[in-house]
Amino acid sequence: MVRQVLIVAALAFVPGLGQAIYFRDKVSWQSPVPASEMVTVAQARAWGGNAIWVDARPDNEFARDHVPGALSLNEDRWNELLPQFLAAWSQEKKVVVYCSSQSCNASREVARRLRNEAQLKNVFVLEGGWEEWLRTNR
Amino acid sequence: MNQLSTIPQFVWRIADVIVGGVFIYAGAIKVLDPVQFANDIDNYKILPWTIGVGLAFYLPWLEIFCGLALILRLLYLGGLSILTALLAVFLGATIAAKIRGLDITCGCFGHASQHWNFSVHLALDLLLLVALISLLLRSERVFRSA
Amino acid sequence: MKTHIFAFTLSIIICMTARAELKWDQTSIELHPTAADKQAIGHFKYQNSGSKPVRFKSVRTSCGCTAAQSQKEEVPPGEKGEITATFNIGERTGTQVKTVTVETDDPEHATTVLTLKAVIPQQLEITPTFVFWGQGEAPKPKTIVVRAAKDFPVKHLRVTSSSPDFQAKVEETGNGQFKIDVQPQDTKRPIASTLTIQTEDSPKIFYATARITNAPAIQ
Repeated sequence: MVRQVLIVAALAFVPGLGQAIYFRDKVSWQSPVPASEMVTVAQARAWGGNAIWVDARPDNEFARDHVPGALSLNEDRWNELLPQFLAAWSQEKKVVVYCSSQSCNASREVARRLRNEAQLKNVFVLEGGWEEWLRTNR
Repeated sequence: MNQLSTIPQFVWRIADVIVGGVFIYAGAIKVLDPVQFANDIDNYKILPWTIGVGLAFYLPWLEIFCGLALILRLLYLGGLSILTALLAVFLGATIAAKIRGLDITCGCFGHASQHWNFSVHLALDLLLLVALISLLLRSERVFRSA
Repeated sequence: MKTHIFAFTLSIIICMTARAELKWDQTSIELHPTAADKQAIGHFKYQNSGSKPVRFKSVRTSCGCTAAQSQKEEVPPGEKGEITATFNIGERTGTQVKTVTVETDDPEHATTVLTLKAVIPQQLEITPTFVFWGQGEAPKPKTIVVRAAKDFPVKHLRVTSSSPDFQAKVEETGNGQFKIDVQPQDTKRPIASTLTIQTEDSPKIFYATARITNAPAIQ
């Protein structure tokens, strides 16, 4: 029986490994969000004028306070806000999307739409979000 | 255990095919979206993320192959033992999650099963467990007496 | 849901001696709002099946777009109630998953996560929603592919450009698929156009953007 268990376990390993290789770009083995899509506050600030900051939070939160120079782009008024974001965008820019904190999902959703719908490259989610930016800046 | 031997052979074969089919289905659904499965495993907060990802790629195929083993009667005992062990471990993980007050949204059948209500799931899973254990006990007897 | 079932059964067995117990009818609700709906509302019903009152310490949502209301703060034993989660759809698309985290003073189930999944009907799939040319780039046409959802048959697509500097030509490619060829007159200035895409039977308006970007395109 042990021999059978080992054979079945080994057989299943082959397609499993194949799938892991096939999906290697879609999932990060280090963290739940693909590493290639996240950026730290330090890294984003280092990009200087090459970065476009996008605030994915609702209008009232953006109005209260936001990263200086950041553009508001949220899913409540996506169609209205997208054109003005695209006006500021150009191909060499790096887009940094943030929302309130690490756990908030809005930034990932906005980033996903920019990548999939507008098909923009170099779209990143800010690690730690607005909370992290406040912590390292004020 | 003597009652088991009074059940005719073909009933056991039907059980094999049904149980095997269920696990092949469960495995196939998870093969289609391993990233989602990795996130579901992570929700239990028992394993580190890296191991969860590895399992997300491996476990669904293991389920499929074990399901096939049951249906084709190839490497039968191996497949059966693995499935029983998997179900037992999964039960333990769920108890642990419930005690810790975590709410797990999805598991075995992937997001396809979100529509089902609790009693249907309950009945299905208990039935699976009973079927697996009976099959295991019966085949151990058969193989030991063979 | 398999997990829920096992958890549910075991909680009945193990927790029979518990003194406080908030039982949820469902902790996960899937909604299918129509294209015209502005909100999707989930009713998470519960009952205190224990012998001690349960108090809600906090009800938090995963995002600002979802509001959650609890009718009462304290639930006496035997009483039923519900947490109403209202999700504002806004201009979201696809399947949206929002959670409501409920904290109670029940030591056995201190935290419960309620999941609201809203499947927002996607009538048209527009890929990409943004086409651009760098300044100085040859003003060749670029294509936007529009795919109609299976349950949303489209016979005719009407596309208008907000700026006369961009031309949009629609062509049906069969199987509910269309292509829109967008072409600028020239790429000398950083101008833009909003393309309004409409079908003959739905009042809903879809958008795409065409523009000449500020910097020369990286070739």
